[in-house]
Parts: sequence; C-alpha cells; structure tokens
Amino acid sequence: MYRKKFFWVTLLVFGLILAMVTGCTQPETTTPQDGDEPDGPVAGADVVKVGMVGPLTGGAATYGISVRNGAQIAIDEANENEEIPGVTLEFISEDTEGDWSKAANAFSKLIEQNKVDVIVGAVLSSETEAGGPIAMSGKVPTISPSSTATGLTIGNPYLFRNCLSDEVQASQLAEYANVELGFEKFAILYTNNDYGVALKDAFEETAKELAEVVAVEAFMDNDENFKPQLTSIQRKDPEAIFVAGYYTEAAKIAQQALEQGLEVQFFGADGFYSPVLMEIGQDAVEGAIFTAGFHSGDESPVVQNFVNKYRQLFNEEPDMFAAQAYDAARIVIEAMKSKGTSSEQIREGLAEIKDFPGITGNTSIDEEGDTLKDVLILKVEDGVFQRLR
Amino acid sequence: MFSAYYLQIIILVGINIIMATSLNLITGFTGQLSIGHAAFMSIGAYAAALATLKLGLPFFGSLFFGALLAAFFGVLIGVPTLKLKGDYLAIATLGFGEIVRIVFLNLKITGGAVGLRGVPKNTTILWVIVAAILTIFVLNRILKSRVGRALVAVREDETAAESMGINTTYYKILAFGVGAFFAGLGGGLFSHYFQYIHPNSFGFLRSIEHLCMVVLGGLGNIWGSIIGAAALTAIPEFLRASADYRQLFYGAILVLMMRIRPEGIISGKKSRKIPPGKTSAWRGKNKFLKATR
Repeated sequence: MYRKKFFWVTLLVFGLILAMVTGCTQPETTTPQDGDEPDGPVAGADVVKVGMVGPLTGGAATYGISVRNGAQIAIDEANENEEIPGVTLEFISEDTEGDWSKAANAFSKLIEQNKVDVIVGAVLSSETEAGGPIAMSGKVPTISPSSTATGLTIGNPYLFRNCLSDEVQASQLAEYANVELGFEKFAILYTNNDYGVALKDAFEETAKELAEVVAVEAFMDNDENFKPQLTSIQRKDPEAIFVAGYYTEAAKIAQQALEQGLEVQFFGADGFYSPVLMEIGQDAVEGAIFTAGFHSGDESPVVQNFVNKYRQLFNEEPDMFAAQAYDAARIVIEAMKSKGTSSEQIREGLAEIKDFPGITGNTSIDEEGDTLKDVLILKVEDGVFQRLR
Repeated sequence: MFSAYYLQIIILVGINIIMATSLNLITGFTGQLSIGHAAFMSIGAYAAALATLKLGLPFFGSLFFGALLAAFFGVLIGVPTLKLKGDYLAIATLGFGEIVRIVFLNLKITGGAVGLRGVPKNTTILWVIVAAILTIFVLNRILKSRVGRALVAVREDETAAESMGINTTYYKILAFGVGAFFAGLGGGLFSHYFQYIHPNSFGFLRSIEHLCMVVLGGLGNIWGSIIGAAALTAIPEFLRASADYRQLFYGAILVLMMRIRPEGIISGKKSRKIPPGKTSAWRGKNKFLKATR
C-alpha cells in the first residue's frame, strides 16, 4: 500500500512537470499571450515584441496593472492604425509580485525566451534596479514608466525612463511653495521607503536654501496612526507640511492633523494623484497642493482620447501610472518610426527623443536616459483636481 | 549550453537549496519552528556585499564574512528565545526578522530604502554548485554524527533528551548557529548574483517560502528539502505560461501537494504503520536509519 501510494504521487509529480514544460513552450509558437490580435501576424509582416515587467499580483499590483493597461492601449492603437508599415507589435507582460529578485527572472525570461526587442518597465524602482543590468547585458532597451529613484539610469545606455525623478518634482515644488505662494516655515513628513526618502532629501535641500525646515518626521508604509509625528510637528508651529508619501497615508495624515487642530497647508508629490485621496480625506485634503505627471481633467483631445479609451476598455479611471505607461509605449513606437525596429535601432531612437508631445506633457530624453518634462502642479478644489501650473 | 534564463533559475534553485537545507536543520531536525530565516539570509547578503564594496575582500572572503556574521546573529537570537517553544518561538523569530528588515531599511551604509547598488557580479553557476554541495555535505556529516542524533533527540522529547545527558541548550544554539551560517552563505551568493539588494525581498514572505520548501519536501529530510527547494523555485517560473492565473495555479499546487502527502515528498519521520507481511521487528530495524537519514 505504501509503495502504491508513492508510485501514484511520483506519477502525478512527473505529469505536472511534463504539463508545465509543454505548456511553457507552446504559447511562443502558437498564439500570443496577451496581445489582442485576432487574425495573427500577416504573412510577410514583421512581428516586433514589446515586453512589459511589473507587479501584476501582490500588494503593488494596482500600479503594475495600470502600467500594463496603459501600454496595451498604445500598442493596440499602433497596430490598428498600422503606424509602422509592415510591422505588427506583440505585447507580452510578465509578473514580478512586487519583488525585485522575481523582476530579474521576468527580465531574463522576456529577453532569453520570448526574445523581446524592447521592454516597457519595470514599475517599482527596486525592480528596475535589478532588471537594468540584465537588460544591458542582453542589449534590450528598457523604458520604465514609473521608477523614480535618483540616478537610476546613469551608467546604463539601455535604460530610459518616462517619469519625473523624485528630486525634480520635490525641488520644483519647494521653489513654487516659497517663491509663488510665499510659505516660509516647512515641516516634512515622509514615508520611509526609496520614494519617500528621495522626495524628502530633495525638498529639504531646496527648502533650506530658500526658507526654513522646522521638523522632519518619518512614518512607515501602511501606518494608520500619525498622531505622534503630528504632535511633534505641531510644537514647531510650521506653516506648511510636505507629505512625501502615497495618497492613502496622506489622506489619513490630513484628517488626523485636522482633528488635532493643526491647520496648515498640505503639499505633496505625484503619490497624491488618486481620487482615493478625496474619498478618504474628505474635507481635510481640500486645498492640498501637489506635483503630478498627469491630469485626466486636461481638455486636450489626446488626453481625452486616452481617458475615454481607458474607461471603455477597463471600466475605471486611468491613473498616473497608466498615463506614463501609455506615453512610454508611444515613445517606443516613435523611436521605431524614426530609426527602425531592431533593439539597437530602438535604443538609438529613444536616446534622441526630443519634445515628444505626450499626454503627460512634452517629453525629451537627456544623455543619461532621464526624462525632461514639465512638472504639473495640481490643487484639490471642491473635491476635484484643478491645475495650478 | 543553457540560455541565461535557465541558468538563472538553476542558480536560484542552488541558493534556495542552501536556504532550505539549513532551515531544515533548525526546524526539521531540531524541531525549532523558525520563520525568520530570510533575516539570516539578508544579514549574509548585506555583510558580504559591503565586505566586497567597502573592505575590498575577495569573493570567497566576503562570502565567509557574511556567513560568519549571520551565524553570530543566529547564536544571538538562539540565546534569548531558547525558553520558547513552538508557536511562541515562531513569533519571536518573526519579530527578529522584521527587526532586521527595518534596521536595513534605515541604516545609511546599506543604502537604506534606496537599496544597495553596484555589487559586482561574482556569483557563477560553479560557485553556487560548490556552495550547495558543501552545505549538503556538511549538514549530512553533522546529522549522521552524535550531534545529529542529539538534535533529533531534542526534537522528539526535550525532557527525555535532557535526562539522557544531552545539553539541550547547547544543541539548540548550535542548530541556530549552523543554520544561520549557511543561510548567510546563501545570502552572499544572492547579493553577488543580482548586483543589487533591497530589504523588501527579505521579509516575512520569503521566510515563509523557505519554510514551505522544507515542509513540502519533508521535515527532517535533507533530500526532501532539496526537492522542495527545486520545485518551489522552478514551478512559479514554469507557470509564467499561464499568465494571469499563475499565482492561482501555484497556490492550488501547494494545497494539492499538502493534501496528498502531508508528511512532505520524502518523509523524515518513521512511518507509524507497519507494512503488511512485516512484524513489529521491522520498525525496530528501520528506526535508527530513518531517524537520522
């Protein structure tokens, strides 16, 4: 009986492994996994593969899924309008679970197994840090739509990004708050991760040059109670608080500050950009001013075209991640149009992008692969975002 | 010979074999439920990376340094938590794991929340294979010796072991120290392979992943841990073909495996049933072999 059971288990394990191995090789030759191409590549037409890497499951999945959706729209548009003559784009996305070591696997898989020509991704900064060297050794150009870590693209000619670095946003905001709005006494409350730290450092540096920073306090992701930090800030009596973090925490901070009778102007960065900010924060976030890479209320036809398509296809509002991913994929397509569709040609094309009219503003790529674009400044007015600058 | 992707999976399998077998020493053989193994891995990873970057040690030296430091912390956590058993020890190790992660998140020298960049890529397939074989060999020698039998005795019944003259305190600390040493070695290989490390990859979930490998492979069996590590590293990669349903299938496989063989792929503990046609003397004959295998 013992033997028999062991035999069946072994058989099952082998069966599973066999199924996985065959299942793993099939999709490459038959149907594209994620691409919406009902009639497949036309005979004679080239297929250029665009990979995407990001967290599609796990805690950061909301960012990864937005990026995948945004890039998907850009790829579908290019295929529908036959923007690159004789070329069909195939879109393949891979999950990282939000873990950088798994992002490295995803990069290797796309480059070695799927032989992608270009990658849009990764999403989190740590993922792009781990994937960058792999993309470089595989000579596959990679453009991240959302990894904002300082100095990310330096020293890697195959790595580009289409998002404002944390430093640029924070230092421009500090300047705006002081020069345009006349604030003199700042406090900083930052989330202790790469995003929060980079924002804090840049804001603190600029604000100290121009005015005064009276308190700097940290909190952790997913914290619920900010009273200790707010109490210690309150003692220093600042005029404004810069919250370097994401909307969920920011909304709670604003509410708890109001409960404590701490009446100050709230500033933030692109982590504020979500309707959830108002849902949780209600009246407390009214008047908050923050930098953003995208404003869906913008009336220009390109923005409205994207917003409408996104609503239609995915039944939700596009966020900043989706918009930057759409632009990143558009920039890749632009590079293909100008130089050609091999990996090396795409890399050359990306390096030469100048004043590309995207939905997240005019975009140029500098010699380090970093992005130069306008920083939008938005304000919460009557529960909606209004553009200040 | 292999594409770089398969090579990467093989390297990760090798590192996870080191992690799983060393955790098996603590949890499977000595019976101390630890869910902070990723903390020892991260100590080794950071220490080895910093030894290479700041001290300029050769690769072997860095790996050894990382492993030693991890062993030191293994002993350190072993001492205050010795009086704890089962669930209580698990929670204490969990807390230790979180402390280590948060310390790395806040230290300046480790790059804090930005992570540590620019670690040279010294880990090759050869290093990993040698390290994995060394780990298996050393653990096997330990387990087949008097020390190994003492560890199993601590697992089976602490009071009985004590009454037989086994210093349970010493052997528990020894298990934690040796387990952490090899976890640190795995961590050093890990950081020198990816060239980048960030604390968020060494959290609670990774510790649980290691524990899954050990339990799935079979508690108290080195070969089981090897199979468990290989399976749980390779399965999620093979499942990439199923795109969005990947995690679903992965979970289903775990549930199925545990349902079919709750004792793990290769069971370390002796079977309670006597096969038909054998007398009870059969169990006596196999008892010694099975307990120490």
